Order: sequence, then structure tokens, then C-alpha cells
Amino acid sequence: MNSKVDAVIVGAGAVAMVYAARLAEAGKKVLVLESGPARTAEDLYSSQMWARRLKWATPHVDEFGGPDRIHFNMNAGRGFGGAAIHHYGVWPRFDEDDFRLQTKFGRGLDWPISYQDVRPYYERVQQFVGVSGDAAREPWRPPGDDYPLPPVPKFKHAELLERGFSNKGIPVAPMPIAVLTKDYNGRPACIWDGWCDAGCPIGAIANPLMTYYPRAVKAGARFQADSHVTRVLTDKSGSRATGVEYVDAQGQRNRQEANVVLLAAFTVENTRILLNSKDKGLANRSDTLGRYLMVHPAVTVFGLYDEDTQCHFGATGGHLYTARPDKTANPDDVFGARHWEIGLVLKPNDLLGVAMTRPDLHGQALHQFMRIGSKRMAAMAAICEDQPLYDNRILPGEQKDQFGMPQAKVIYQVSPDGRALAEQARQEGLEVIKASGALQAWSGPVAAQHIMGGTIMGKSAEDSVCDGYGITHEIGNLVIGGQSTFPSGSHANTTFTIHALAERTSDLLVDDWGEISS
Amino acid sequence: MNSDRRDFLKHAGMGVAVATILGPDLLLTPAEAKTRSVPLKVLSESELATLESAADILLPGASAAGVGYFIDEQLSRDPNDSLLIARYLQVPPPYDGFYKGCVQALNGFARTRHAKIFAQLPVNLRQDLIASLFPEQPADWAGPPSQLAYLCLRSDAVDLVYGTMEGFADLEIPYLAHIEPPSKW
Repeated sequence: MNSKVDAVIVGAGAVAMVYAARLAEAGKKVLVLESGPARTAEDLYSSQMWARRLKWATPHVDEFGGPDRIHFNMNAGRGFGGAAIHHYGVWPRFDEDDFRLQTKFGRGLDWPISYQDVRPYYERVQQFVGVSGDAAREPWRPPGDDYPLPPVPKFKHAELLERGFSNKGIPVAPMPIAVLTKDYNGRPACIWDGWCDAGCPIGAIANPLMTYYPRAVKAGARFQADSHVTRVLTDKSGSRATGVEYVDAQGQRNRQEANVVLLAAFTVENTRILLNSKDKGLANRSDTLGRYLMVHPAVTVFGLYDEDTQCHFGATGGHLYTARPDKTANPDDVFGARHWEIGLVLKPNDLLGVAMTRPDLHGQALHQFMRIGSKRMAAMAAICEDQPLYDNRILPGEQKDQFGMPQAKVIYQVSPDGRALAEQARQEGLEVIKASGALQAWSGPVAAQHIMGGTIMGKSAEDSVCDGYGITHEIGNLVIGGQSTFPSGSHANTTFTIHALAERTSDLLVDDWGEISS
Repeated sequence: MNSDRRDFLKHAGMGVAVATILGPDLLLTPAEAKTRSVPLKVLSESELATLESAADILLPGASAAGVGYFIDEQLSRDPNDSLLIARYLQVPPPYDGFYKGCVQALNGFARTRHAKIFAQLPVNLRQDLIASLFPEQPADWAGPPSQLAYLCLRSDAVDLVYGTMEGFADLEIPYLAHIEPPSKW
């Protein structure tokens, strides 16, 4: 038995780093248990191939329970830094309407909190982490302070696409992005080499290893790698968490006692751990645990030009942005919002690389395409809102992992509105590409980004797992963080919002520690 | 660009690479491994021949770049350390079963249609077979989904030919590494 700590945090991604920093700075004894390895900046080779080590490979998610995939291995992260170590830093805010879907539209689910509850934490996080953009050029942006940093520079591929949007009468603005355009808070500015998703070793992007992790370590938080948490432990009454069980690098099963348990292990793992903690799941009186699984259906469109586009330069997630937050403004009564990430960086290989944009090509035709496409393409991605569906869920799988823990079985189908939005975006995108002067325009399949839901927040245990702070309704010292708590998905990328929510929860924990921990 | 920062990071990367190279085994690039015909760790010689043959149809030059030896080396590792794109494509680890299944399926497919194993067919017939694997699975294919086999092997070939610093140079685009990846493993 290890010595008891004030807080044990499960997972070492972005949310865990915020919790660890804030609680340790408040004088709490904090232990972070991460299933994957410890990582440092020196591990982050600029290579799509080597970057694959930043993601999961172990068999613990069966995605074939339903018709569509959530692409867990591509979206999640493993090791210190979690998914945010390979994220693109696209940081739009959630819209005000995202928090009141049911109240305003009679659709989906409401959040138990509003945009105004989260707004101060968006401001705090963007001030600390550094976000670049130009708020004055974003008519779609909800109320908020201007960005602390000027916009990212535009490379030729983004300029070409901007011309296409302009010709279609669609306004664009600089990308709201957590990539530093100037040296900021001790971190250096980006050098626009397009290796964001390989993990940025200089910390120009909001890599948690360079933002909250140093604060956490400085304040005394302890991080333990290769420690796979299998269960949350409770007292005999089942109403208080007493700690967690984990398997260490030697394969030994251990117990870690804590006054407060914080689950920050990404969407699928948060649910899987709770499902494994009690028959039919912990904090699951309403059978909501695992339900309302969502993604952002995304579609990427491409153009080929008769000039050099510099498509290997820039910020991987794009340079320009345009959003349509009005959920009722789509043709054919399709419901939901979407946005474009414009001017994605294209490297030759990998799932999002030049070669995979034309999977039909092989042989000499592929060689010819690579020589042209690597220098003369442009790309942009539409990120669309999915709707929370009760039957999209995570269940215990039939197979067990190496720790004896049931794998997660995922039953997921893109919501009809989400799929329709993506298809509408595809058509719009192809028109924009053509209007930009491209020689050729084509698109990829609908893919899943930003897995959400499963441990959703709500007003009571009758219809949700946790409250607006992520505290489970049934166990007052068990906190869940991250996008697994989202009851609806917005169109906006999630990483900014999970940071803001983690700061908000941390404020509560620090202020009310005595009540929550005892 | 801040050249001091770039130089520092390149230096840091070399430090990591050298520490790896000074291990107990001589490390080689995949192309060097092929040239020296180093002993295989997971695949058989015939399995290697089939995979190289298929990869070379998907992207000529992949075999010379050592794609078969690359796959063999990666299959010998813990899946969490693997550099194979299979980990993104819902292939359950360990990945040797998938690759061996691809070999069996390719050879079965070739035998059904042409009464020979895949690697023994003339180039034009191998090209025809590979072209039929994507986007629809042929009715007489038996094994892992043909589309998955096609995409994985094709991506492995692209990784080796164009995903390295040498590959970028061949495409005449700058690599711009923060930390250069090891070329030998």
C-alpha cells in the first residue's frame, strides 16, 4: 500500500495537468497515475512515423459494435501529455447555444452550466497558455477577451483557399489557435515547420508538457508512469471513493488511497474504469454511464494547383477559420453548427498526409502524384456537430486486456444531422476549392475527431453521471474531467474547453476542499 | 526562423539518436538491412518476399527501401513502440497475425486466379491483382479485408520511400525537423 495522498489523478493529459498544477499549488499532496510512459521534449521526433508512439496500440477498445468508428487510436494519446501532446491547437470556444440545446431548440441535451459560467476560465486559460487570432474578424465568436497573441502568418496554400472563400462570399478570419506567434510566458514562438502532430518539443503549441506540467512539478505533484488504473475503490457504503487500484510496470496490482479521486483518462477510459469499478458501473444509477458517445464528424477537401503552395509550411491545424454557429441555418432542416479549418499542413505520409488523400493511386501514378501533390496542394477540414444519441455508448467488451480488465466495446453511429452536415460541408468545400482556382478538387471520407460523452454532466443522477464541475452525483469525492463529461458536442474543437472546465473545477476543489474531501 | 533554437534542437535529437545506436546490436536503416540480408525476426523468407513484392507494386522502390525488413523489425517490437500505421487502422495488435494473414490472402488470391503464388507472377499480373483490392474487396479474396491490406502495405511503402528525411529530399521539400528522427533502428 502506498502512502495516502490528497488527490490521485488518473491520466496525465491536458486536464490532469491542470488539476495537478492547481491542486499542488494549493498545497495538496498530488499523485498522477499514467498508463503510458513518461515523455519529455526529447522524445518528440519530427516524424509522422515516430509520432505513432504517442498513441495507443494495446487492444482495449472494440470499435465494431456499431456501424461507424470513433477512431480511438488516432484521437487518443498515451503517456505524459495525453492526446494534447499531438493535438493541432485549434482552440475555438464553444458557442452560447451549445450549452442550451434542449431549452432553446428542443434538441439533444442541456448542460447544467452556461457559457457565462465557463467564460472567465476561457480568459484565464488563453492568458496563461497563449492563443493567437483576431477576435474582431470573427463575427461568429461568443463574447470574450481578444486573443493575447497576433494571428498566425499565412502561407500560400491558405491564401489560395482564402481566395476561394472570398469568391463564394464566405468570410474567413485568422485561426484561433494555441500556437505562439511570439515568445510568450517563457515559451518560444512557432517556426512554422508543420510538425504539430508529432509533438512540439519547443512548446510553441499548447503541449501540456510545456504549459501546466512544469507548474505541477514545481509545486510538488508526483507523476508515475506505466501505472494502469483498473478501478476506483469505494468504502463499504459505496458513497465515498477511497482511492484507485492500478497495475504497475512490474505487473503488480496496487492500491492508492486518496481523499479525492479525479478521473482524467480521456473519453473511453473514464467510462471503462467506472464500468469496471462496480457491477453495472460506478456512479451509474440511471444507466447513463457510457451513453451519449459523440465525435465531430469531419470531412477534408483538397485542391491541386498549378503553382507551389508551400503546403508543408505552417501550423498543422490550419491558418484560417470560418464558422457557422447558427444551428438552424442549414439547408433541408439539418440541425447543427460547423466550421472550416483552412490551410492544413500536408506532409507526404501518414493517415492525413499527401499519399492518403488519393488512396486509389498506386504504382508509378502514385510516384507522379507525390511529386506534384507534395508541393502544389491545399487542404481544409470541416468539423461538424454531432448530436447526442442515447444508444451511442460504451459497454464492457467480451475480451479482456493484459490487466484482466474488460475491453471497451463501442456502439456508435454518426447522428443523421451530423452526417448530413458533413455532406453539406463537403459540397461547399468542393465549390470553394474550385472557386480558389484549383486544377482539381476532391474530398476524403467522413472521419471522427474529438471523442466525447460517456460520463455526461447534468442536473441530477437521474439523467447524468456528474454535475457541472464533473463531480459525480453519487460519490461526492469522485471527479471526472475532460470531454467525456460533455452532454453535447458543439462543432468546436474540445481542448480549449476542457482546459477551461478543469480550471473551473480546480477553483471549486481549492475553495471547498474540506467539504469535498471529507 | 530562429537558427540557434533549430541548431540546439537538432543537437538534442542527435543525442537521442546516438544513444540508441550505441546499443548492443548494430543498427541499420531498413535499406541497409535488405542489402545485408540480415536475419529476419518474425517473418519467413517467403513471407518477406510476398510483402516486398506487393509493396513494390503499390509503390515501386519500396522493396529497395527495405519495406519488408522495416515491417519485420516493427513486428518484433512491443505494439506500443511500433511505427506501423496499422495501429491507426483498427488492426488489433500484435500485428504479425495481420501481416501473415495478408501474405496468405495474397498468395491464395494469386493461386485462385493464376495458379501461382503472388511473388512468382509476372509484374503485369501482380499489378492487376493489387489494383483489384481497392476500393472493393474481390469475391475470391480470403483474409483480412483487402482494402485494409492495400492501405496498410501502401502506407508502409510510402513511409519508407517518402516519409523519411531522404524521402522529403527526393520530393524536394524541406524536412524542417525540430528533432531529427533516427534513421537506423
